[in-house]
Amino acid sequence: MITTIWAGLSVGAIYAIVAVGYNIVYIASRVFNFAQAQFVMIGAFVALQAGSVLNLPLWVTILLCALVGAVIGALEEFLAIRWLRGRGAHNELVTTLGVATLLSGLALVLFGSEPNRISYFSDQAPLDLLGGRVLFVEVLTILGAIVIAVAVGVITKRTMIGLASLATSEDREAGALRGINAGWLAIGAFVLAGALLAALGPLVGAKTFAVFNLGDLLAVKAFVALAIGGFGSYKGAAIGGFVVGLVEVFSARFLGSEWQNITVFVLLLLVLLIIPNGVFGRATGRTV
Amino acid sequence: MKLSMRTYKRFPFWIIPLAIGLVVMALPFMGANRGTLRLVISIALLALLVVGLNIAFGYAGELALGQSAIYAAGAYFAGYFAIKGLDLPLTLVIAVIAAAAVGLLTGGPGLRLGSWSLGMVTFFLVLLLPDIVTLFGDYTGGTAGLSGIPLPSLFGQKLNNTTFYVFVIAITILFFALLRNYVVSRHGTALKVMRESPVLARSLGYSIPRLKLTAYVISALPAGAAGSLFAYQDGYVSDVSFGFSMAVAILAASIIGGSASIYGAAFGAAILVIGPLRASALQDWSLPFFGLLLIVGGLFFAGGVAGLLTRLIHSRFLKDDLMPDVLAALESPPPLPAIDGKTLKGVGIVKRFGGNVALAGVDLEARPGRVTALIGPNGSGKTTLLNVISGFLKPEEGTVMLGDRDITGLKAHQASRSGISRTFQTPQIPQGLTVAEVVESARFRTEPTSVISGMLTLPGTRRAMRRDREAAIQLLSVMGIVEYADRQADELPLGTRRVLEVARALASEPALLLLDEPASGLDEQEVEALAVVIRRLRDAGATIVIVEHNFELVMRISDRIDVLHLGGMIAGGTPAEVRNDPAVIESYLGKAARERAEAAEEKK
Repeated sequence: MITTIWAGLSVGAIYAIVAVGYNIVYIASRVFNFAQAQFVMIGAFVALQAGSVLNLPLWVTILLCALVGAVIGALEEFLAIRWLRGRGAHNELVTTLGVATLLSGLALVLFGSEPNRISYFSDQAPLDLLGGRVLFVEVLTILGAIVIAVAVGVITKRTMIGLASLATSEDREAGALRGINAGWLAIGAFVLAGALLAALGPLVGAKTFAVFNLGDLLAVKAFVALAIGGFGSYKGAAIGGFVVGLVEVFSARFLGSEWQNITVFVLLLLVLLIIPNGVFGRATGRTV
Repeated sequence: MKLSMRTYKRFPFWIIPLAIGLVVMALPFMGANRGTLRLVISIALLALLVVGLNIAFGYAGELALGQSAIYAAGAYFAGYFAIKGLDLPLTLVIAVIAAAAVGLLTGGPGLRLGSWSLGMVTFFLVLLLPDIVTLFGDYTGGTAGLSGIPLPSLFGQKLNNTTFYVFVIAITILFFALLRNYVVSRHGTALKVMRESPVLARSLGYSIPRLKLTAYVISALPAGAAGSLFAYQDGYVSDVSFGFSMAVAILAASIIGGSASIYGAAFGAAILVIGPLRASALQDWSLPFFGLLLIVGGLFFAGGVAGLLTRLIHSRFLKDDLMPDVLAALESPPPLPAIDGKTLKGVGIVKRFGGNVALAGVDLEARPGRVTALIGPNGSGKTTLLNVISGFLKPEEGTVMLGDRDITGLKAHQASRSGISRTFQTPQIPQGLTVAEVVESARFRTEPTSVISGMLTLPGTRRAMRRDREAAIQLLSVMGIVEYADRQADELPLGTRRVLEVARALASEPALLLLDEPASGLDEQEVEALAVVIRRLRDAGATIVIVEHNFELVMRISDRIDVLHLGGMIAGGTPAEVRNDPAVIESYLGKAARERAEAAEEKK
């Protein structure tokens, strides 16, 4: 039982971090980045190469992943988002979906459709913790998710750059009048979110292996986490992520593995019907 | 040679696509081989999926990625019941009903949140398909697939390759015709208004959840039908046919053809089937290729092929002349009809934003045949008050009565239906509509017609659309802008757009007209024209509430002025009374102005 809870929390931690990534970009540029979860996939493949070909130590690999994620994040904003400013609301859904498809498609072409084992964290004995069994890397992921959600939340509320992004999110023009460079803010958000999620690659890849469609289910489940927690809320993203992970793991255990995604889907439909703004979301104010 | 506007509007151009469709349908009798027929069937099925998506995405503005999952639902249901021995028409109907059910199930929740939530819900649905197929393995054949689907039979008659082909094309033509009628009917205009400005749509009385859900469910129907035809075509259904790459291909075809179009769907489908989907060299590279296509298409190819063609036709082949009814209205301007205004009475209205009190117990009364102006410095609560009256904000305390009806706390679309019309500080003129259509869009809820009537262009819809046009021409003529009736509305200059907003606000025969800073940004002449219009409306019996910063205009046209300051009424009365009220002078014009006024008094 406790083992199942650990498993749920460690899966949920991944969703939570991806949801934080959605939030970072959403708050700074009001864009929902469909391709966000693909950065975890990128990180997993970088870790695969770094581990099995280059034999780099883990900390170097994590830095390398973050660097690659940051560069691709910047490219995404620059090539697929920036040009759309002020031209209708829906095209960034199409272009970020295009980026997601392009990234996972390239991974398929380069590495094939078979999952690849990552060399990091591969030979670990499970720990006994609070009466359940859990891998060290899983504990690390859970702690990482909590630290990241809290840290990004504090940065957003307490630092100039965080407040600037909140202000831009509320009113781009007013922000610009106060001297906030919304363009740099948006690039910065894509870079930060990209680096963060790609750095997660080695940890996630250790659990799920590196596979081209790793990002697909991750994308929707992190979205469920956001829907539960409320858009723009970091606390909500973390809690929502853990809830999704627990629901998934428990339904797999008690109903069978073919149910694990379906129960999360049903959870999403119920959340959208009952609390469309999420637990920590704000209803929007003035519309006219 | 250029077409006159009259020919362009009246000529039944739908004959051309119909004729093309019939020629395609007759291909087997013109010696086309089996390979060609298979290819055309693939195009037709993809075109059905894409045309559905275009309704949801191109017209209603909601990105639905689940067409391939709905396609699968149609295929599995039709396949299962075909094996059970049901006839083709029955399985087709079952597939369409299944598609509608999936649409309702995912659309209800999926449309609740921002614009991406339907996208994610439907994307999730596509990813779930293998799990669902496994779970219902007894019916779907599980991972092995559903095999043994018999050849289609129509009323007991087995169909051969040729007759099945004809049937597929007939169904495709049928759906294209129904959806084409739907988007050229008033419902299509309503969808465009909603896509461009949800706020405006609500102020016109549209129920947005209902409009969106209707459009989304309609978008699922052709996908279900395509699924059933696919099941017969292949004789075998497996979940690998309906994966993520299929979903992306559908969206790519939609963007290439032009999402906000009907016939563009056939273009896009044909291009994709003949090009990338067939090229075997592209198999491995299909995902990156579609990814690039979405990025480039989303960035640069907003209108698609259909958009390019429309623009070409408008610029090259269309004369810029006037329609006969416009000419008639110019020659003998129709009179302004009597307006049945009602009394607005607000008592003790309180509105807070967090700890911020925007309205602290405001009273307001506006009577028919009179112009009531609301003035006050920025942040005094004028627009908040308008938003409370028109249902965009819910007051914490107080009542709002219109006539003898209590409208406190109604939502915006309900307030609109109970007789409140408004204009906006920034004119809300949707893209892609003509000036006349902008006015007509306000009559969508005043004289409602059903979706089915629109799809079949029944007499009810035709009558309503004729009256829409008449009302639009009449009001545009009253406003003095009827010569622009068939121009694109978003190309008008600001002053004309503001006058157009007033025309639209009148089209729903409102009991109360709210004008939110109608003179801002206008030059002197335009302000003068606006003043004339407002006086005419007042004399026709309208109840008018106007929020305006142009002090001189307010003084000239108002019968009563109420002055707001920091969320409370500080003065009220005739223009002359308000002009000399010291509290008004101080709050509105500043302390210096009061001192100067007092100094001037003393000198006398």
